[in-house]
Amino acid sequence: MISCTEFIPAYSELFKFLEAKGGKQAVVDYWATISKDGLALLKEEATRNGLRGCYNYWSHTLNEEAADFTMTLDEENGLFSIEMHECPSKGLLLNFEHLTPYSDYCDHCDILYRNVLEPLGYTYDIDLSQSDKAACKITVTAPK
Amino acid sequence: MEKMVRHASDNKYLHRDFHGILNLGIEYLQEQYGDDAVIEYLQEYTRVFHKPLIDAVKADGLSAIQKYFERIFEIEEVEEDILFEMGVDTLTIVISKCPALSHMKKTNITPAAMFIETTRTIGLTLAEETGLSYELVTYDEATGASIQKFIGKADK
Repeated sequence: MISCTEFIPAYSELFKFLEAKGGKQAVVDYWATISKDGLALLKEEATRNGLRGCYNYWSHTLNEEAADFTMTLDEENGLFSIEMHECPSKGLLLNFEHLTPYSDYCDHCDILYRNVLEPLGYTYDIDLSQSDKAACKITVTAPK
Repeated sequence: MEKMVRHASDNKYLHRDFHGILNLGIEYLQEQYGDDAVIEYLQEYTRVFHKPLIDAVKADGLSAIQKYFERIFEIEEVEEDILFEMGVDTLTIVISKCPALSHMKKTNITPAAMFIETTRTIGLTLAEETGLSYELVTYDEATGASIQKFIGKADK
């Protein structure tokens, strides 16, 4: 059994395994599948409730993941953002002394959510420049 | 404008939906790369991620495996769903409900055909890496209820 608290290293090892099989494209193809089959709730929330749906979705997941974050919903200006001060997933991986995280681990947060939100008309931006410190920022902008 | 500010210490780390994402990964591997890829991936995962457990089993024997399972079931808040029988050179682990399958059932996710390997391959690999024998005596694919045995004396 793999506990849900052990999922992140299993995820990171899966990315490494896929890359060894078929290069980075194999990993990207997997992320594309996950965004289709594993993020139905985000799609449903964003379709039904707009940016508030994003707020609802991440309120659930980030609290369960014990993340350290500031999440802002500005419906008047069509903006939703997450400032991730310490990502629980990347933080966990960086803290392991006996394993090395997949080199492009954080890229999955770019592809997964972009694939769900952009077809709905949103602009999705992610700043991964601080990802080596387990920090990032996501901004979702509603269509004009 | 609404703002939510949280610190890591505000919540317990327990995102059960990860069970469903793991299931998707197993399903994807099997569909795209075949049965052997699922086994190879789980073997590799066990050797890498469970290195500290492998070392602990080599140092302390079967009790390290029991401690590991006790800790995981406590974290998953299902301590009542696991029992242990420690005999002479045999650890029997009786699981009445697997927390992964319980959550998938609750969220209407169909377990991957090879989800059993997250129990069997991990058990077999852990045994291989420590010089033990392993047997998955029973496994219920709907609930994950199982009886597993680790047998022998671990390599020092």
